[in-house]
Amino acid sequence: METEKQVQRLNERLTYIRDIFAGKDSGHIRLLDAKTADYAQRAPGLNARERRALALALEDLFADVENKLEADLTPMDKVRIVRHPQRFCLRDILENVYDGYTEIGSMDDHSIDPAMVIARGFITRRRGKRVTNQSVMIVGHEKGRGEEFRNGGSAKPWGNAKALHYMKVAETENIPVHAYVFTPGSYPIEDTPGAAQQIAANIYGMASLRVPVIAVISEGGSGGAEAVALADRRLMFSHGYYSVISPEGAAAIEGKPGPGGRVPAELVEQCALRMKITAEDNLRMGYVDQIIPEPDLGARPYHYDFFRGLRRELLRVTDEVSISVRGLPLFRALRLRGRRRSAAAGRDFESSYVRWNLPPSAQMRLVSRRHLKFRGLSLSAALDRTPLSRRIASVWQEACWIIYSRFRHDMLQKRRQKVSEYMEEVKSDWTLFFERALTPLRKLAAWFGRASERMSVETVRTLTELSEWNDTQENQRGGRWAYISAGAGEDRAVSCPNAGIHGCLDQWAPDLYGEFAGVCPNCGHHFPMEYQWYLHNVFDAGSLVEFAADVEAGNPLGMEDFGAKLEASRKRTGHKSACMVFEARIKGVRLVVAMLMADFRGGTVGAAEGEKFIRAAERAGRMRFPFFAYVHGTAGIRIQEGTNGLIQMPRCTMAVRRYIDAGGLYIVCYDTNSYAGPVASFLGCSPYQFGIRSANVGFAGPAVIAETTGLPVPPHYHNVYKALARGHIQGIWDRRELRFNLSRALLTMGGRNLYYR
Amino acid sequence: MMFNISAMLEEIKASPYEEIAVRAPHSGFATFPDGLAPGAAVSGPAGEFREKPGTLLACIERERNPRAVTCPERGEIVAVHRELHGSFVEAGTELVRFRHFLSRGEVEARILKKALHLFLAPERARYYFIPAQDIKIKTAGPRSVSVREGDELFIMSRMKRETPLRYSGPEGILYAVYFSHAADVDARDPLIGVCPPDLVEQVEEVVVRVRTEWKEKF
Amino acid sequence: MSGKQHRILIANRGEIAVRIIRACRALDLDFVCVYTVEDAESGHAHAAAEAGPEKRLYRVSSYHDANELLAVADAAGATAVHPGYGFFAEDYRFARRVRQRGRSLDFIGPSWEVIRALGDKINTKRLARSLGVPTVPGSDKPIYDEMEAEKFARTIYEFQLQQGIERPVILVKASAGGGGMGIEEVHDIDLFRSVFRRIRNYASRQFKDEGVLIEQRIRDFNHLEVQILAERGAGRIVHFGTRNCSIQSTGLQKRLEVAPGFDPSAVRYRFDAAALLAKVTEHSLAMAREVRYDNIGTWEWIVSRDGAPFLMEVNTRIQVENGVSAAVSRIRGKDGTDLIAEQIRTALGEELGYDQDDIGFEGVGIEYRIIAEDPDRNFTPWVGRIETFRPPERDWLSVYTHVPSDRPYDIPTEFDPNLALAIIRGRDLEEAEARGREFLDALVLEGTSPSGDKIRSNVAFLRSMTEHILMF
Repeated sequence: METEKQVQRLNERLTYIRDIFAGKDSGHIRLLDAKTADYAQRAPGLNARERRALALALEDLFADVENKLEADLTPMDKVRIVRHPQRFCLRDILENVYDGYTEIGSMDDHSIDPAMVIARGFITRRRGKRVTNQSVMIVGHEKGRGEEFRNGGSAKPWGNAKALHYMKVAETENIPVHAYVFTPGSYPIEDTPGAAQQIAANIYGMASLRVPVIAVISEGGSGGAEAVALADRRLMFSHGYYSVISPEGAAAIEGKPGPGGRVPAELVEQCALRMKITAEDNLRMGYVDQIIPEPDLGARPYHYDFFRGLRRELLRVTDEVSISVRGLPLFRALRLRGRRRSAAAGRDFESSYVRWNLPPSAQMRLVSRRHLKFRGLSLSAALDRTPLSRRIASVWQEACWIIYSRFRHDMLQKRRQKVSEYMEEVKSDWTLFFERALTPLRKLAAWFGRASERMSVETVRTLTELSEWNDTQENQRGGRWAYISAGAGEDRAVSCPNAGIHGCLDQWAPDLYGEFAGVCPNCGHHFPMEYQWYLHNVFDAGSLVEFAADVEAGNPLGMEDFGAKLEASRKRTGHKSACMVFEARIKGVRLVVAMLMADFRGGTVGAAEGEKFIRAAERAGRMRFPFFAYVHGTAGIRIQEGTNGLIQMPRCTMAVRRYIDAGGLYIVCYDTNSYAGPVASFLGCSPYQFGIRSANVGFAGPAVIAETTGLPVPPHYHNVYKALARGHIQGIWDRRELRFNLSRALLTMGGRNLYYR
Repeated sequence: MMFNISAMLEEIKASPYEEIAVRAPHSGFATFPDGLAPGAAVSGPAGEFREKPGTLLACIERERNPRAVTCPERGEIVAVHRELHGSFVEAGTELVRFRHFLSRGEVEARILKKALHLFLAPERARYYFIPAQDIKIKTAGPRSVSVREGDELFIMSRMKRETPLRYSGPEGILYAVYFSHAADVDARDPLIGVCPPDLVEQVEEVVVRVRTEWKEKF
Repeated sequence: MSGKQHRILIANRGEIAVRIIRACRALDLDFVCVYTVEDAESGHAHAAAEAGPEKRLYRVSSYHDANELLAVADAAGATAVHPGYGFFAEDYRFARRVRQRGRSLDFIGPSWEVIRALGDKINTKRLARSLGVPTVPGSDKPIYDEMEAEKFARTIYEFQLQQGIERPVILVKASAGGGGMGIEEVHDIDLFRSVFRRIRNYASRQFKDEGVLIEQRIRDFNHLEVQILAERGAGRIVHFGTRNCSIQSTGLQKRLEVAPGFDPSAVRYRFDAAALLAKVTEHSLAMAREVRYDNIGTWEWIVSRDGAPFLMEVNTRIQVENGVSAAVSRIRGKDGTDLIAEQIRTALGEELGYDQDDIGFEGVGIEYRIIAEDPDRNFTPWVGRIETFRPPERDWLSVYTHVPSDRPYDIPTEFDPNLALAIIRGRDLEEAEARGREFLDALVLEGTSPSGDKIRSNVAFLRSMTEHILMF
């Protein structure tokens, strides 16, 4: 009986090894194979002692071989480790790391989303006789070994919503959050609240969560990971991966196999390597702070030492985060240094005690440190080619603006506001009084005056003679646009895609792309337009001032051929990145604009784009201008930059959060196609998102949804009307009215506290 | 009302298809795809949402804008007017003729059209159901509606003017709708088929018979 | 005119197509017609098919599809397009496309710039005001702001009170609207704001332009038209007198027109009618000169009860009622005036060949539009088959119709049920009226609808209206 169990265990271990090295031929594996079979055959004939000896020898062999194989692990092997059903999962951590826990809102498949598990756990610490239970909120994906309903840890939007909810609960309770990332990616559906919008909400919410957050990454797949992984400290298991896209996905994009085609395994291996997805890579690039070592070939549930180590590290890191923001700065430093020394000496922290709840001042410090931490990431991944002289000038300018804004808006404005509010009240009281007193008199006067009163010649003239009219709108009446699309140059007719439904007639290209601004006059379908059209027709003529133009999209991972592709894009568009940031005016109101251009690498966001976006948000905040993000199109995060791109999701969202918290008005407008990472973070977090008609907004494209979920995707699934109905965006604007609507939005939404005129 | 289901079924079985002429939707220069020849199988729009267009039958280029003419139903090509290849065709010129083999539902509808009481369009116009009934029909299907002599049922739209129209005929269940709001209905063409209570049995027999006896081709 | 080098595509149907064919024949110009399935039996299609062995008739999917017309124009080798009235007649984009496309064609009508300038209500009004041409009191630019609008409306209200109007009415209309869409009357100034908001929202939804115009509502007015003709390249400009089009069905559809606009010799007016006609004509000519008008066009005016004229709009096209002006005018050296022929001639670049002094006016003309509609039922169109359409033959009468006289004709439901146009000439108003009645009495019009009803037409209505012509 015992033998059988043992054989089974060894066989499982063997299967695991075989699976991980997927088909790769190895003498080691064959050896283990033979030895295990041999043992299974011989064991029943041996006595207990012999059997034990043999088993021990075999286990030693396994350990030895595993140790040898460990050295050969490729990144793709690690991906297979992470996905293997034998790998430990969140349940194992709950059982082995915490001294007790209560699952919140789930019991196996009875859960709003079994892929996301929330638990309140505690860790018991003993200091002498005193026993303290320190509470934490545990949030994480549950891959659930082979349990299909867990969806492999792919959280649905409502799962992420639950996670955010309980992180907020932790904030109320003032206990730290431990977030575990075991997800291949978010489940790509657009149903309320929608994958992208929910991830955006999570990132936005976590950006300023006022409790320590520690994230531990095993499988960090793209947006799904970011939805819970924005943390003060990010730990990563040594055999985990953290990537912007699965290696298969990256290979599919690289290899372009076409529908139904398969990508060769070597390409997937290569992609996994080049994408720099391992723990060491991410540590080097700075996107995780520390690696939690795992046993050879990755931890499995029976590696109890591993869990002990994890517990130790968690305690240490949680303590550190708390200490680093509590108390007086001098003491903080001393304490931290002392702890580091004792950690190095191998002391554990079970018996020491550090309070994890934070007083308000420490909470503020915690949040601002988190923002600083993310602000400093990925800086070297983008090339800033701004000349030194201009850099110095802009630093000086920024400083001046800060002083000016402080003075003008914070000091003067507040005083003036108070005085004027008081005056207004007094005035309105008086007016009311006078109105009452005068009404009878007025009536009388009117009765007498009517017959004799004659209209002045002036008044009659306003009704019958030519009036002054120099409205800027006049210029655009009848489609006299400042910029005409290049499509208007062709002598041909163009069919509307809705002709079958709405019976739209073909339009002559010069009319359609000229006067009609690319809008079908019958059904209102918007044909795609160049971004230049918007630059010239939305903002006041000549008011655009670009900045940070010299921040250049780079190739931080040194991807093959990619440098050349970037160069081609730069040449073709005349821009150095997919993001253009500028100041502009609209009917005299100044604002800062960030624009993502579909023409430059599909409008994908990498380190340079993220950096520019952040600078724009910061500039808007500094100058107290409204901030407008016009998305001419974005295909998502630039996968060729790997985690350098992915990290822009939290980075930019945090910049937006800082801006909005400081009182800024942030408006987003989507055009053509906007998908994935950017929508799921710094765009989707805006309270005012609008879509240009006929645009598509969503998380994953139809093909990806169909492939991932196996569900058919109806036509127009991502259309802005659907997005509006789902509550993802707040309105739909006609391209021709963008100037008018935007200007009105600035005036109506930008109240005294939102935006500064 | 008496009629012979078997005879009608036999009659349809003798020619189990209808010939559909595909005409040029507008003027222009026509081209036909290679390989399109009599005998070729063609298909109509497919996919769960009918999002995939039918087989390409021809292409008409007008004002440098080529537009595809695709097949509306599945069937088999009878004739391709290749002599028009590359020449200017006027709107409405026949391009391709194909045979569409009747599906079970279509056969059923054909026979029922003879069995049901048909309410005919009084004038050439566009017709709509009045909003109250329209909602019912859209949500629960036409058979959820029963009609009686004098019921206000339609709106007749002609030359931008709309007039209400009352149903006249026997009381019964609205069994079939023969018009769509997108197209004109000729005078004396049927608008709806109504099944009076005494006919229910017979109508159901038609349905059963067609279901058992009609074998769909393709 | 070197006739055969031109080939004119007639991008229209029915009566006007027939008249254009006739004009082309008179000028010895070649032409091409289009028709839709519904119009296979229409007179214009027959006329084109029977014009000769060469192919002159093309079937199209729709008269509304410019691509269709231009594709035919290219295929048939047409050199010019005549839009008639309706359809593309006042569509400056079509005129522009015809001119600017790869294979350029002549557009028989004013240049597209002129059509655009005069096609815009606001622009026309501002242009008129800049020349001192009287327009309806009110705003001449779109108003967006509610407060400003109300202030303006109150001024118009007071203005009307001042003129002695007991119950002033204010018109609120979407500045981008037209054809009676997006217009509301305000009788109670206190309700102005809600009406303003409603129109503004409607305009925003419908026209993507929130601008609103606010005007005085002129009541009990007469509708006057001035017929203008100008050479291409804006050379000589002449007028062909005035018309009165006040007799209309509901929805302001004209049914009966008379030339001249007023007849002081037969009717006593409360104002100096002759001076008024002269003033209106002079204003129209001045405006035409200012915009460098370059083809046929009509200046539409309304005249209040006390004889104050206001410019309404300019129609930059041939009109149904051109014939009635032609009937009373005579160009020196020509027998009979055909304004469509004059239009085509000038559009193709030919010189006018005469001055205003060469145009004489004599007699009175009446034009009837014979329409299958029921005046008792709010002018509801009647649909059915015309079995007999037989107008009397008189030398003072011209009838233009696309209804064939030798076979039955089914009225297509897709278009307005206009059947024919009859123009009656008389030495004076009295004679013209008498002849008009004679014509209507002698006209044979028989038909039945699919449901067996007898034809309904406006003949009786026209006859009753003939009693009140030019009274004011």
